[in-house]
Amino acid sequence: MITKVVSVARWEYLEKVRSKAFLIGLFLTPILMVGLGVVPTLLITQADTRTKVIGVIDPSGAIAAPLADLVQARYRLADGSPNYVIRPLAVGPAADVQSAAAEADRETGAGEIEGYCLLGPVPEADSAVEYRSKSVGDIQLVENLQQAIRIVLSERKGLSMGLDMTVIRALNVKVDMKQVKLSKTGEKEDTGFLQVFFTAYVFLFMLFLLIVTSGQLLVRSILEEKSNRIVEVLVSSCSSTELMAGKVLGLSALGFTQIGFWALIGVIASLSFGIVLVTPGIAALLIVYFVLGYLFYAAVFIGAGSPLTTEQEAQQVTSYLVMILVLPIALAFPAMQNPDATWLRVLTFIPFLTPTMMALRIPIQMPSLWEILGTILLMVVSIFFAMVVAGRIFRIAILSTGKSPKLAEIFRWAKEG
Amino acid sequence: MLKVTGLRKEFAAVVAVDGVSFEAGNEEVFGLIGPNGAGKTTTIRMILNILVPDGGTVTYDGKGFSDEVRNHIGYLPEERGLYRKSKLLDTIVYFAGLRGMKRAAAKAETLRWLGRFSLEAYRDRKVEELSKGNQQKVQFICAIIHDPSIVVLDEPFSGLDPVNQIVFKDIFHELRAGGKTVIFSTHQMDQAEKLSDTLCLINRGRVVLGGTVRDVKRRYGTNSLHVEFSGDGAFMSALPGVRRALLYANAAELELETGANIQTMIGAMNGKIDITKFELVEPSLQSIFIQTVGDSNAAAPPVEAA
Repeated sequence: MITKVVSVARWEYLEKVRSKAFLIGLFLTPILMVGLGVVPTLLITQADTRTKVIGVIDPSGAIAAPLADLVQARYRLADGSPNYVIRPLAVGPAADVQSAAAEADRETGAGEIEGYCLLGPVPEADSAVEYRSKSVGDIQLVENLQQAIRIVLSERKGLSMGLDMTVIRALNVKVDMKQVKLSKTGEKEDTGFLQVFFTAYVFLFMLFLLIVTSGQLLVRSILEEKSNRIVEVLVSSCSSTELMAGKVLGLSALGFTQIGFWALIGVIASLSFGIVLVTPGIAALLIVYFVLGYLFYAAVFIGAGSPLTTEQEAQQVTSYLVMILVLPIALAFPAMQNPDATWLRVLTFIPFLTPTMMALRIPIQMPSLWEILGTILLMVVSIFFAMVVAGRIFRIAILSTGKSPKLAEIFRWAKEG
Repeated sequence: MLKVTGLRKEFAAVVAVDGVSFEAGNEEVFGLIGPNGAGKTTTIRMILNILVPDGGTVTYDGKGFSDEVRNHIGYLPEERGLYRKSKLLDTIVYFAGLRGMKRAAAKAETLRWLGRFSLEAYRDRKVEELSKGNQQKVQFICAIIHDPSIVVLDEPFSGLDPVNQIVFKDIFHELRAGGKTVIFSTHQMDQAEKLSDTLCLINRGRVVLGGTVRDVKRRYGTNSLHVEFSGDGAFMSALPGVRRALLYANAAELELETGANIQTMIGAMNGKIDITKFELVEPSLQSIFIQTVGDSNAAAPPVEAA
């Protein structure tokens, strides 16, 4: 009994682990994840390494010079050289703003300057300042520039009101807002909004790809066995229970290979580049949900896939399951804004959504203990029932060829066994 | 030894197998013959426990089906049952393992059989890269590698060239000499006649003829005329005293009515065709088959079997 199960498992594992689809998923996913998640986070939070030249068009002629001095003094790169250099482009009341802006556009396009500031003619007014550049995503630069302009303007205003320069300086306090996420236990974690968002995204996507890759491999192999009559050889060699147990086991080994490989990449990334997406505790909890979700969906794919007879039907069924799996991705934003929402909790207790919802929620805000224990229990029970039902369908379905059975017929198999 | 008693299977409203009984002994090559859709494959699937019969029993060396029995049966399905993308050696070792063989033994046996079929060079090739005939050889190895006592082969000769048919035939005889039961199905009567010791003719799900090949042929008596000739032999079917004629390009098998006058026949043939051989023989299985099946089919419309 056991040796045949192991035989099937070994075969399923080795044949699939060598398949192109699996290898692509295995290697491509981390690359994709790095591309989607880590790189933008790094780019946003990373400090500049070279001096950036910023043009200024100042029709009043009063701002450009003090701004250049202030920026020079205030922002430095790690090696001590100035972070930004202000290049006055058109200064004074006689300046031709139009042609200066056109020239600045060209220079920006050619990469000679990072971008340029377009100031208003009356600096004291609370006028809007425009910053024009090729990329508007450089949050750090915009924030620094904004702060510098504000200081210059407030100094001018202060002087005109007769205040002493030292007083003005004292009023201009530099504030750096650092975001700190608090976990339930009150521990502090140094993570910003974006990082939390990407982390949730990364895990959701990993779980999704994990399930879909092996689910598709499984359905395709069952289809081949059915269309090729291999299944007759199999079923005359071992019982359908042994066959299914072997498939689930082999598939699980496949999943764990994938999870293990990704975890390894995660560990290497955190050790060598200092990229830490989650703490080991959270990672362990996520792996628990990965495993539970994987097993549950293995049963779902067997139950839903074994009655099929054509590749088209398989694609259709897979796409329905994909829709269920990606649903939490659509909920990522609202979930981040309001992680305590009741509807999130309710969705988390639907077995089809539990693993993905948890993969989404855990990096955002650790759910309460009762939710974690409750969903784990729910998943264990669901996996048991899903396996029983899948086994009943599988036993009859693998030998049915020709027309795919009707849904009512499949329900009857599932009920009667 | 395999004993089938009163086997019955219905699909929807169609009775595919209707009370089939036969016995295939040890040291015996048993031919299960019949036209397409007669119920051969359905019978075989019930023997292998792939389908559960609606009635009747199958015993293997006197015992009912069990997990133990699985390891002593070998099976070659009608349509090819191999993983297309998998390597030869891996595939055979896997199937052997499923029949309870240890991996090391399975590998050694696989290499031996691949050698016997001159397929060693392909051991690490994918199944789909092989010709149909070679795939059939691989399938055959999968059926016999674990030294089963009962070997069931569904249409083993399809896609096989004459040279390899002889290789298969030799192995049939080796298996028989080793005390095994070899059961094969075919709709090609000449193969059944050449290969089997015992046969069972199924038509429309029922056994219409059975016994050793010798018995069956003797039962039909020496009332056939085998003629080899050159020329147009079409007229022969209309000759007086000929009940039925099987006409080939340069030969004919004429089933005679009792008391037919052979001298008159020779006279009638003279001048029309150039006779090279003229012999009074037992009927061929082909002739018996057409006679038996043709008679029973005339009574009812054909039945589709699954």
